[in-house]
Amino acid sequence: MADNKNLMNRRDFFRKAAAVSVTALSGKSLLANELAEKGDPAIMHHTKWGQKWGDPVSVNLYGMPSAYEHNVTRRNTKLLASGNFRASIAVTPIHESQGIITPNGLFFSRSHGGTAHVDPDEYRLMIHGLVEKPIVLTLAELKRYPSVTRTHFIECPANGGQEWRGPQFNSVQFAKGFMSSAEWTGVYIKTILEDLGLKPTAQWMLAEGSDNSKMGRTIPVDKVLDDAMIVWGQNGEALRPEQGYPARLLVPGWEGNLCVKWLRRLEFSQEPWYCKEETSKYTDLKPTGKAIQHFYANEVNSTVTSPSPEIPWTDLKDGDVVEIEGLAWSGMGTITAVDLSFDGGKNYVKANLKGLVLSKSWTRWSYMHAYKKGEKLLLTSRAIDDAGYIQPTIDQEIGVMGVEAVYHRNAVETWEVTEEGKVNHVQIRSI
Amino acid sequence: MFKLEAYNKLLVSASVAAVVALSVVGCMDGGATPSGAATSIALDIDGGVSYPVVNNKTSDYYVNPQAIGAKINNGRVPNAAELAKWDTDLQPVTTLSPEGHGIPEGSGSVEDGETLYEAQCVMCHGDFGSGGGGYPALSKGNAVDLQKTLTNNRWKDPEADGPTRVFGSYWPQATTMWWYIRDGMPHPFSDSLSVDETYALTAYILNINEMYVDGEEVDDEYVLDRAKFLKIKMPNVDGFEPNIAGADVLPGVKAYFGKASNFGGLNLNQGAVRCMTDCQESTVKVRHILNGGIKDFLPPMNVTRDLPSKEVVALDIKKTYTESCAMCHDSFLAPGSGDWAGYTPKGIDKVYANGINGTEGGMPAKGGADLSDADFKTMVDYLISAKVK
Repeated sequence: MADNKNLMNRRDFFRKAAAVSVTALSGKSLLANELAEKGDPAIMHHTKWGQKWGDPVSVNLYGMPSAYEHNVTRRNTKLLASGNFRASIAVTPIHESQGIITPNGLFFSRSHGGTAHVDPDEYRLMIHGLVEKPIVLTLAELKRYPSVTRTHFIECPANGGQEWRGPQFNSVQFAKGFMSSAEWTGVYIKTILEDLGLKPTAQWMLAEGSDNSKMGRTIPVDKVLDDAMIVWGQNGEALRPEQGYPARLLVPGWEGNLCVKWLRRLEFSQEPWYCKEETSKYTDLKPTGKAIQHFYANEVNSTVTSPSPEIPWTDLKDGDVVEIEGLAWSGMGTITAVDLSFDGGKNYVKANLKGLVLSKSWTRWSYMHAYKKGEKLLLTSRAIDDAGYIQPTIDQEIGVMGVEAVYHRNAVETWEVTEEGKVNHVQIRSI
Repeated sequence: MFKLEAYNKLLVSASVAAVVALSVVGCMDGGATPSGAATSIALDIDGGVSYPVVNNKTSDYYVNPQAIGAKINNGRVPNAAELAKWDTDLQPVTTLSPEGHGIPEGSGSVEDGETLYEAQCVMCHGDFGSGGGGYPALSKGNAVDLQKTLTNNRWKDPEADGPTRVFGSYWPQATTMWWYIRDGMPHPFSDSLSVDETYALTAYILNINEMYVDGEEVDDEYVLDRAKFLKIKMPNVDGFEPNIAGADVLPGVKAYFGKASNFGGLNLNQGAVRCMTDCQESTVKVRHILNGGIKDFLPPMNVTRDLPSKEVVALDIKKTYTESCAMCHDSFLAPGSGDWAGYTPKGIDKVYANGINGTEGGMPAKGGADLSDADFKTMVDYLISAKVK
């Protein structure tokens, strides 16, 4: 191509390259003829990175995402900025999530007194109360227990909790991103209790963090003896500080705040504790005036991630076959099916599960759709788990819970696809 | 070695009800059954499924059977002082525990509490606990009256008053407040208040919630101590379900969460087929986001893939000098600090220009440093002014 005068003019070339990429984004083909004649600049031109040395392997000894991915980040909002962003949450860009694992740097971050930075040498875990033998463990001693590795989501029970009275976030990151999923490595607490001997009167376990808020929660021993874990590994490396380095509780499927971070103490007792975050918060007020306390499991739930307000269909052409994709999850078991509605939940078709389907884990699902330019859709997904639970309609859920509950909202949610292919968050409800 | 038996005993001793095996949900209308799913389900305390270890597997995960029931015996027994240092939690007075747990001797007055509050709390929690600035309100008025607002629900009338959930109207136990003040407050300097200060702040918060203790008004003269604290009865103490107080309550908790209608869940009971056509209430409408909704996202939502705009980084003069200038200007290769009399007569602008553009066979443009013109000029000034040494 060196003899092509047009291509030799670099400035002109890049101006045209820019025009072509704008075209690609807008889905139009203004320069289609030019493209056919001269070829795609991305192919015809030598790339910036293809003719010079790349970085030596000694650069980025802990690897970072491509600089071009800088918009893929956790985000927060002033609405949820309590405590100068130290009793606050930064949520996961689930529209950018791949598969069923959230990278550690994007895992949603919630704390009640800021992110603590714990010196692993000074880390201690004390286990006491109604046990035959109380113990204190160093981090090395904790990690010497036989480990298990499991994939589980952690979800803040306030995921979707700002929208009991109507949709507020035109964003899947904020409407459903108060959750993430990872492969965790740690030890079952029941394994440690083999050493300690739980006394027969023990009914409850207090988990307490060493952070500024001394975050605490009470957990029934049924769950402790089932699958509750103390974890130190996350996606093959140590927990991040935001996730409770060096060790946190993991209570699979249950409210994220029960998975106490920077864990320093477990105490067993006959009666529960009434911690701040299990009475003043994380309780679901019903229209009867009574509030549900100790509301443990995040119930069966799902969302469409593509399309979404962040990933619209404005670039689709008539007849394009497109994959509608989403996530389903249940803290009460394993996803068995996901249904998809194109009319806001009146009629459903069965979507297809994809990849690994694990208990209390994100599960991928998808449905292939032939897009008709100008069609208006109301995309609603609905998941079912092996405990028999299915997502209710908004009317069904608020019929019992009212609209003041804040937590554990798992009714079906809907994206409106407009004629232009834009995607808006809507709710289908009677009141 | 394989002490499965011991583990089973542990389960039984902790009054965990035997797992209830149910036949697999046959009602799924052909819904996909995940590979490896158990053919029976056991219900957990949360109403969900638990996956007991069967043939060395729990759901899809293999487990090492040697690890079950193994005695590891790591760690050491903490001494009494260590236990006392960390065992700072409080538990309330109950039938089983008339003295509660961990409630220390001490006292504090409303008056002292107000002084402390004004000094250490008001900047976040507002005047008289009214809240603001992203921190919770501690009072909205009379606790007993406001407790009655808990049946308010804005589901039909969005303009109606909602329920008021603050300490006085909502919290079931005062131990929660005492414990959190001492261990978690003030938020930026937690774990800094004494027992008496904690009693004083608790007294002040009872006062602004217009509460009574054992028939006595918590007025401005009130002094709270341990004996009085044990008698606090919060207006909403019976406002929560399921019951968690007392012995052998876990089966009741399990029964509560076993019933979907208690918590707004929807369970396809065995044999039920889920609706696939014409499933909707006829009264529904499409509700859009009002007034643009909430969109003050930080950082703003953006899904483009490009290079970040360069941040303006403050110039670090000494670091830049060391990295980009010293190699020549601290040697015979180029004029050093204060050694510029022969170069400046043509005017400082000429020196700047030579430096910015570079000179033939001498100065590289900007010394090879990635600097703005303004920052580069600052570096030239630094070099000429003889401040380097």
